[in-house]
Amino acid sequence: MQPVAIPAGRRPDNEDEQALVAALRRGEEAAFVELVARHGASLLRLARTFVRDRAVAEEVVQETWLAVLNGIDRFEGRSSLKTWIFQILSNRAKTRAVRERRSAPFSALAGDGEDDEAAVDADRFRDETHRWAGHWAAAPADWSALPEERLLGSETLTQVHAAIETLPPRQAEVLVLRDVEGWDPEEVCAALGISDGNQRILLHRARSKVRAALERYLSEGATP
Amino acid sequence: MSRTDVEHVTCREFVEVLTDYLEGGLDAGERADVERHIVICRGCSNYVEQMRSTIDLLGRIAAEAPAGEPATAALAIFREWQAGRSA
Repeated sequence: MQPVAIPAGRRPDNEDEQALVAALRRGEEAAFVELVARHGASLLRLARTFVRDRAVAEEVVQETWLAVLNGIDRFEGRSSLKTWIFQILSNRAKTRAVRERRSAPFSALAGDGEDDEAAVDADRFRDETHRWAGHWAAAPADWSALPEERLLGSETLTQVHAAIETLPPRQAEVLVLRDVEGWDPEEVCAALGISDGNQRILLHRARSKVRAALERYLSEGATP
Repeated sequence: MSRTDVEHVTCREFVEVLTDYLEGGLDAGERADVERHIVICRGCSNYVEQMRSTIDLLGRIAAEAPAGEPATAALAIFREWQAGRSA
């Protein structure tokens, strides 16, 4: 059979999603259970990038499920079912985040990663007076020399979580969908309604910050 | 090593184009500059490996055990919806 050109990332789920949609429309509980098993944990992780409070994030996920069920008869399949569900979550979580933080100054919501921030602190590089200007003054260490339990241990994962929580919301949502959930750039752009260029800038800023946080953590206790 | 070997890209520029490089967003000439720099510069080759480890660690978050309660709450929503639909 000849391969059919379907956008990457939707291929494995496509037929199976159509079957799920049909089963949901018939009111089959098993189909809903399958959908929750597939996306429930991911939805909660994404919700928590908008509303940090876990209980509120869980409510947003529940509101999303209700909106999915109420809208399933109108779902036209122009995007994948997954993208559609995450669009609903993203819109609801944004609305909720605004409500939760309405007493906060506007700048707290404006942290969208559009500002011009460097991936690495400027003081890590030789300055303009040096003949090696722009090259490392304090070069990054070789993490492969670390014991595996240090690099991959649960404490390191805790640091990753903490770093994500400090990111501006738009950077956090792109990072979570791309690197935690493993989505394609096209799917992320569709679900969040952003351009490919914007997606890549947000991803770059977010990854750079998480790396920097890990570098600070992993260099603790290292003998210089 | 002469200065001209690494002059095409400075380390400070390198860290800013790394995501474009990893995402396949550079043209052939830029990609060649970046790859040459990685070969020559130990600091930047460590930086790339740190970034790959960071991405790998982010991917491990998804494998952590999810909490069971949200599924129960979702099921309650479903049953209510179903009851309303067949009513």
